[in-house]
Amino acid sequence: MNEILAEFLRGYTATNQWLAILPEILLALLALSLLAVEMASPKAARAQVGRVAFYGQLFILAVCLIGCFTGPATTGAEPLFSGMIEQSGTTQFMRVFFLLCSLFVSYLGGIYLERQPLARTEFHHLVLLVAAGMMLLVQSAHFVMLFVALETVTVAFYVLVAYGRNSVGSLEAGLKYLIMGALSSAILLFGIVLLYGVAGNPALAASSSDSLQYSALAEFISLHDGNLLVRLGALLVVAGICFKIGAVPFQIWVPDVYQGAPTPVTSFLAVASKAAGFVVLLQLVQGPFAGLGALLVPVLSIVAAVTILFGNCAAVVQGNLKRLMGLSGIAHAGYLLLGVIAVASGVAWAEGAVLFYLFTYLLGSFAVFAVMTFAAGTDDTDQQISHYQDFAKEQPFLGGVLAIGLGSLAGIPPLGGFIGKLFLFIAAFQAGLYGLLGVAILGVVISIYYYFGWIREAFFSHYNETVPTKTAILPSMRDRLLLGFLAAASLLLGLYPAALSLLP
Amino acid sequence: MNVAQSLLVVLFAPLVSAAVIGLFLRRQGVLASYLSVGAAAVIAGFSWIAWSGAQGETAAVSFSWLKVGQLQIDLGFLFDGVAATMLLMVAFVGFLIHVFSLGYMKTDKARARFFGGLSIFMFSMLGIVLADNLIMLFIFWELVGFSSYMLIGHYMETNAAKEASKKAFIVNRVGDVGFLIGIVYAYWQFGTTNLTEMGAIAGLHPEMLNWFVAGCLLCGFIGKSAQFPLHVWLPDAMAGPTPVSALIHAATMVAAGVYFLIRIAFLFTPDVLTFIAWLGTAVAVYAGFCAYAQNDIKRILAYSTLSQLGYMAAAFGLGYPGIALFHLITHAFFKALLFLGAGSVIHGCHHEQDIFRMGGLLKRMPLTALTFLTGLLALCGVYGLSGFYSKDGILIAGSLENPAIFTLLCGGAFLTAGYMGRLFWIAFLGSPKSEAAEHAKESPLVMTVPLVLLAVLSVIGGMTWLWPDTLGGLILADLDHLHHMEGYKAAHKNVLLFGSAAWVVGLAVSFFFYGAGAREDRLEKLAGPVYGFLQKRLWFDEIYNFYVAKIQQRLADLLSFFDIFLLKGVLIRGSAGLVGLFGLGAKQLHVGSLHSYVYWFLGGLVAFWIVATGLLF
Repeated sequence: MNEILAEFLRGYTATNQWLAILPEILLALLALSLLAVEMASPKAARAQVGRVAFYGQLFILAVCLIGCFTGPATTGAEPLFSGMIEQSGTTQFMRVFFLLCSLFVSYLGGIYLERQPLARTEFHHLVLLVAAGMMLLVQSAHFVMLFVALETVTVAFYVLVAYGRNSVGSLEAGLKYLIMGALSSAILLFGIVLLYGVAGNPALAASSSDSLQYSALAEFISLHDGNLLVRLGALLVVAGICFKIGAVPFQIWVPDVYQGAPTPVTSFLAVASKAAGFVVLLQLVQGPFAGLGALLVPVLSIVAAVTILFGNCAAVVQGNLKRLMGLSGIAHAGYLLLGVIAVASGVAWAEGAVLFYLFTYLLGSFAVFAVMTFAAGTDDTDQQISHYQDFAKEQPFLGGVLAIGLGSLAGIPPLGGFIGKLFLFIAAFQAGLYGLLGVAILGVVISIYYYFGWIREAFFSHYNETVPTKTAILPSMRDRLLLGFLAAASLLLGLYPAALSLLP
Repeated sequence: MNVAQSLLVVLFAPLVSAAVIGLFLRRQGVLASYLSVGAAAVIAGFSWIAWSGAQGETAAVSFSWLKVGQLQIDLGFLFDGVAATMLLMVAFVGFLIHVFSLGYMKTDKARARFFGGLSIFMFSMLGIVLADNLIMLFIFWELVGFSSYMLIGHYMETNAAKEASKKAFIVNRVGDVGFLIGIVYAYWQFGTTNLTEMGAIAGLHPEMLNWFVAGCLLCGFIGKSAQFPLHVWLPDAMAGPTPVSALIHAATMVAAGVYFLIRIAFLFTPDVLTFIAWLGTAVAVYAGFCAYAQNDIKRILAYSTLSQLGYMAAAFGLGYPGIALFHLITHAFFKALLFLGAGSVIHGCHHEQDIFRMGGLLKRMPLTALTFLTGLLALCGVYGLSGFYSKDGILIAGSLENPAIFTLLCGGAFLTAGYMGRLFWIAFLGSPKSEAAEHAKESPLVMTVPLVLLAVLSVIGGMTWLWPDTLGGLILADLDHLHHMEGYKAAHKNVLLFGSAAWVVGLAVSFFFYGAGAREDRLEKLAGPVYGFLQKRLWFDEIYNFYVAKIQQRLADLLSFFDIFLLKGVLIRGSAGLVGLFGLGAKQLHVGSLHSYVYWFLGGLVAFWIVATGLLF
């Protein structure tokens, strides 16, 4: 009996290549070691925790990059962990992406926490866990894996959003995110269960005992694309992801939560969480839901059009900057959906366009959020456009970074965001999504209004009736390096897009 | 270091210099000027390394810059014999002009801007020389346009400089529209804009060539090289600092148009070539006449440049791109020399530019005067000097291919000698005619040494037997081709006779007609209407002004009316209001109450459910 069990386990664990998920393991170990460092070190030395987290992540980033360039151990052909995980060029890229995000978030978190009477270690700890969870999320090739990774991320986010315990706004945002997030998880899970049930039905052709595995499910769905349960299950899963990426009609939580959460956490939600949702969506429309193009393309098209218009229109009248970033982020989700729809309609290279856009969005967003972190007063939720009067005159460096970040988000050449939009729009054009393309261009035009309203406030305001109290921190040399990197990378990608060779 | 790496250094050294000056040295003119000259030295050195490293081989490197689906835009270098010849010329003449500028711009307040502009220009110009495809070429084409605009307008406190820079920019855009259409058309037709690939395709399928694409691309040349009818900007561009006129508006940028033609020579059909030959000949003669009615030393030289560009175009049109390139190179030497000499004179005379207020400069500025004379003789085509060999080639080609063009070009050579003689006799001989000329002093070494070096090049630049084997392959091939043509001997004798007669007679007539150090223009006095006619330059400026003021302005006014009432009033305000209204509505949705959010969420879910049932699609 024991031998049979051993044999079974050996067969089961044959694909467990732990080295393949080395970066995730290292992140988790780093997160745990932070707690140990805090316990072991005297109270005065606890400021070191942030530094440990930062340099630890830099090290892991190096490991990841080396893994990228020395060729991945697996090229996606071979399923790892019994088909739970599949790796590809995209997932390798996203690992670096999420590590960059967590690096910036914990760096900005250090600056935020300096001004707040809050514990530091747990913040960095949670950020690392979220990053590890997201890395696993985009590598999952199985709905169980997907759900577990997603919940790891989401639960950690509940805490992070409510991290500002001294602020009512943060606590309220945490509660809202908890309830809405739980609702969306429930919907996602319901969708998964429906798919599991229908695909596991032995009465139907191509049913599978492991029906939550992507490839098995893809085979099943390609034969049963008219089945109501399949359609419903897939749409509910998509709805759950729409919550993550903030697409209409599941976007309603975005402004409140973005405003209440500490600014670094807001940036994490805006960039990494959204990116994770998009990569999962891309994998689904190329994998298990590939047979459902006729259903998903129209649904996502409507969602994208409404999302772009809603996000942009609502952002125009918004005075609070964190809400504005949230609403404009909704609009960006709409543009990105264009790429997803193009992929679903058969333009395969659009995946590269989405990834490119995500990367330029990372650079632009973190540039803006970093400036917001420096410029924020003690009340983190209260950041108004009017606080930026004469900002560029007093802080020329931060003003410049802000202008480049906002310009890139608005899609102004020669910045990376412009090329990103260009790629997406060309992909949409090739997919024949002309109407959607028109809506997207309209959205971009509207977005320039509010992005430049902000730039105008920072650079060209001459009325000084109500001089707000200036609370901006002067960036140190290291801060300048980091911010300069973000701005320079935005510019570089605009001038030389091939620096990020994502398109085939 | 291999060829490609040296070329990268050549291309990016001036960009780095411009960036550093723009970012950090805006108020430190001295440092900025040394940095820019240093960059020019690096360009010259590494051009030499690249050329000697290539050993006459063609080096082509390219890398993908932008790739979207099937569309791919590459950036790359095509470093063949033509590019190497051009690169060395631009690098060395550019370096000498940079050094000259150190002295000329010494007292200028905005030195940093000037030298930053020079560096930007060098970057753009080298990009044109090295570009291996039309799109890259166009990018740098526009960049030289921008730097030219910036440098013409250097003395921005004067109205003339502002107007001239604007004019140069706008007129060039007219040509560039055609150029851009030509690029799109070429891409559509050949599926690539890479010069080598296009050449290969054109060689295999001659039937793909047509007059349209060649004509469109020709527009770019007409704008940049100031050919008929877009020539009006060049004389006005003399409002810029003199080293700029020497570098941009004589030696390199305006010649870039001809260089561009040589690079795409395979695209031209015989009828377009004939057109270019006649166009060039017409400009050569027309500009020669115009020069007689100018008193500004730089404007005379500007018309001379126009005329010589006409010669290059004629050579190209006659089917000898190599001889066009030959004349381009020798012209760069002696015209840069003439402009710098004029700069030295202007510097010595405290910014006096009217030749009738100079005089007697031979005694006061001997080195400048002698080097200027060398350049002048080279321009006139005196036997043994550089201009002789290249002009000789053009005239022989003319006499063998098209006697009518030959006759006109000989006439042009006579005109050239005449107006250059007029300039020299009046400005350098006789006695000083103004306070400024009275106190003129020889320029410092930093300015005269470049003059002497350029004078040496003007003398020996045409002696092809002195050239290294790896240089000027195309030039030698075309000359060789001429040598072996039937009737070469007779043509050569003719050209020697008529060409020499042209400059001897031209110089002599101008000497006896105007007289050494004349105080006033005898032509104006004796034949006022003729002079007035020449001064009007066929009324081109008037016609354009009329068009702009009466036709374009009316149209613009009409459009502006629509803009203000329809676009601004109804469309912009209206749509902005509409968006704001939507926005306010959307804002109202975010009430902050968790209950309503959950209902919102459930509503979305119901919508998805309905879709799933297939009721909608």
